Amino acid sequence: MPSEAAAAERLDRDGRRLHPLTLGFAAVGIARQMIWPALAGGFGLGDGQLARMVPIVIVVLAVPALLGAAAKYALYRWRLDGDELLLRSGVVNRQNRVIPLARVQNVEVRQSLVQRLCAVAELRVETAGTGQQAEAVLSVLGVGEAQALRGELLARRRAHAPVAALAADAGAAEAVTDAGARPAAPPLAKLSTWDVLLAGATANEAGVIAAALAGLLQFADDLPGGVVKSVAERAIERMDGAVFLLGTVAVVLFLLLGWLISIAGAVVRYHGFTLAVDGGEMRKRYGLLTVHEASVPLQRVQAIRVEETFLRRWLGLASLMIETAGGSPGQAGGAEAFVPITRTGDVGRLVRGIFGEADVDAAEFTRVHPRAERRILRRYLVWFLVLWAPFWVARELHIQPGGALAPYVAVFLPLVWLMARWQYRNRGWALPPGYVMARSGVMNRITWIVPDRKLQTLHLRETPFQRRLGLSTLVVDTAAGGRQASVIDLAHSTARRLLEELAVRARGARSESVPSREEPAPDSSG
Amino acid sequence: MDRPDPGMSLLDEVQAPPREAPVQRLDPRAVTLWRLTSAMWWAFWTLSMLIPWAVWDWPLWLTAPVAALGIAWTVLIPAAHYRHFTYQVGEVDVRVMHGWLTRHVSVVLHSRIQHVDTRQGPIERALGLAGVVIYTAGSVGAMVGIPGLAEREAEALRDRLAQLSGTEDAL
Repeated sequence: MPSEAAAAERLDRDGRRLHPLTLGFAAVGIARQMIWPALAGGFGLGDGQLARMVPIVIVVLAVPALLGAAAKYALYRWRLDGDELLLRSGVVNRQNRVIPLARVQNVEVRQSLVQRLCAVAELRVETAGTGQQAEAVLSVLGVGEAQALRGELLARRRAHAPVAALAADAGAAEAVTDAGARPAAPPLAKLSTWDVLLAGATANEAGVIAAALAGLLQFADDLPGGVVKSVAERAIERMDGAVFLLGTVAVVLFLLLGWLISIAGAVVRYHGFTLAVDGGEMRKRYGLLTVHEASVPLQRVQAIRVEETFLRRWLGLASLMIETAGGSPGQAGGAEAFVPITRTGDVGRLVRGIFGEADVDAAEFTRVHPRAERRILRRYLVWFLVLWAPFWVARELHIQPGGALAPYVAVFLPLVWLMARWQYRNRGWALPPGYVMARSGVMNRITWIVPDRKLQTLHLRETPFQRRLGLSTLVVDTAAGGRQASVIDLAHSTARRLLEELAVRARGARSESVPSREEPAPDSSG
Repeated sequence: MDRPDPGMSLLDEVQAPPREAPVQRLDPRAVTLWRLTSAMWWAFWTLSMLIPWAVWDWPLWLTAPVAALGIAWTVLIPAAHYRHFTYQVGEVDVRVMHGWLTRHVSVVLHSRIQHVDTRQGPIERALGLAGVVIYTAGSVGAMVGIPGLAEREAEALRDRLAQLSGTEDAL
């Protein structure tokens, strides 16, 4: 481990600068941060007169922006030195940073629209243990330089990872020669515009309902028997007709707008999504305006989560998330979209792309104990009664319209029963060879896929209520930040035996053959 | 595809590992430790009930239920906690069982241990007790603690766990 001083000296001697356009981008960045203080200052000093305000605001923005950008460009140095990335930054506080490449988790090349036009890019390096902030942000580099550096970082990281020295050799040589223009491996997943639109359209269920409602309103006039009409008219008689109509239309329009925004958002975010796996690395590329290019080493993947909302399940769609190590506890970090949308039939293939031998399709799920359904229903009923009680209080106190509605709230009772049933039916577990799968959820069914080798600790939990019913909760903890897979309300004996089985599996998985399982074999073509 | 819970025919073939490791209890002085902590905590609450009495002339007897609850808690709960707190250091893993109300069983494989600490607060130091905390790379269940051990025992346990995790890694 070289000392800070040595690192600083090497940076002085032959550290590299950022791209000259850093001047422009850094200036804009600083100016953007200063915009509110500048406006406030201009307003105060200019006595509210526009002609005097504008020059003050411009000066307050431009001077620090230009000085800051110039200082950043003049002082920033980076250098790839053996198995370390050396950085020096800072105007007031000099900062020398040494990042051992073996600790690098994730390298991302990011390009905003303007950066794309200028042929520059931002390179972000994340390591384990950092919070949200990337450990190193090289902003900006030339596009070719950024991609070459990314290839180089990943290749050297692989070469220095203790486990995979053999596997990396081929990959490293290849990456050094043509890191930027490396021939892409056949993508594991590729989303068409239609897929992306579908992802956006099904992301927001309220919007879908609104679209359906809007369609229905058009047909309302043509409905036979005038059922809808009479209901609506009676409702309108009770309230102020115009307000009621306007309110309904406004709500529908609002939901519809939200739906369109979510579709547009999906297109902006996920346009041209491609995902490829090669050389023990997962690479993603996506985005319409800001293009993201990220790589995640497969060995950092702790678990895959399959999420199926009610609507998507009905349409035979699912989205996949991966949980990686490194997010700080408490924060949802660590989880990121692996594939934003896919057909359910394709999930098995995608999971195999990451976890190699996992056979998800053949996994047979076992439900939790039937007594769980009783417990879920009981819990939902308590909530329902708590929500219902105010209506009856309103009735006693003659507060309208709550009081009048009190008896009709009972209409929702079947829904409570239905939700309890869904929740029970969604809970389950499966043990395909080498993996644990846990499933839960009501409207959004979530299936965890955790490799045995990634199990960290196992926990059993029994609340007094569970104990009375002979049920337990099994929690499977991995190094993923924040969330854990769990199976709630297993029969006590089942939970016990599952715990023992997983303890045996976890031990066997880790000590038996670390290299071959930790680092899936690189593509055989090279 | 979904089957109801079959009573584990699938796992019946799997033989549970021999668990000859003894189930161990904490040092009995742990009860004293928890009683002291609980007494301090409840004394604080009881005293803070005096504020409405002093400021707004609330009746003084309102402190009585709090004090009574505090005394009952201090007498009963630490003992119950002690009764239900056991641990087991096996060949393969450490297990910590605890909880008088909600029962918990935590299993930490030796190979997953990142590091092991001993911890000692001021009351623990006075009583000659210490706690052991086992860290893994996990997220929510990453820390598993065994409080209220005799100082010497805590240190021995820490060293033993550190050594066990080391040998396991060498495999």
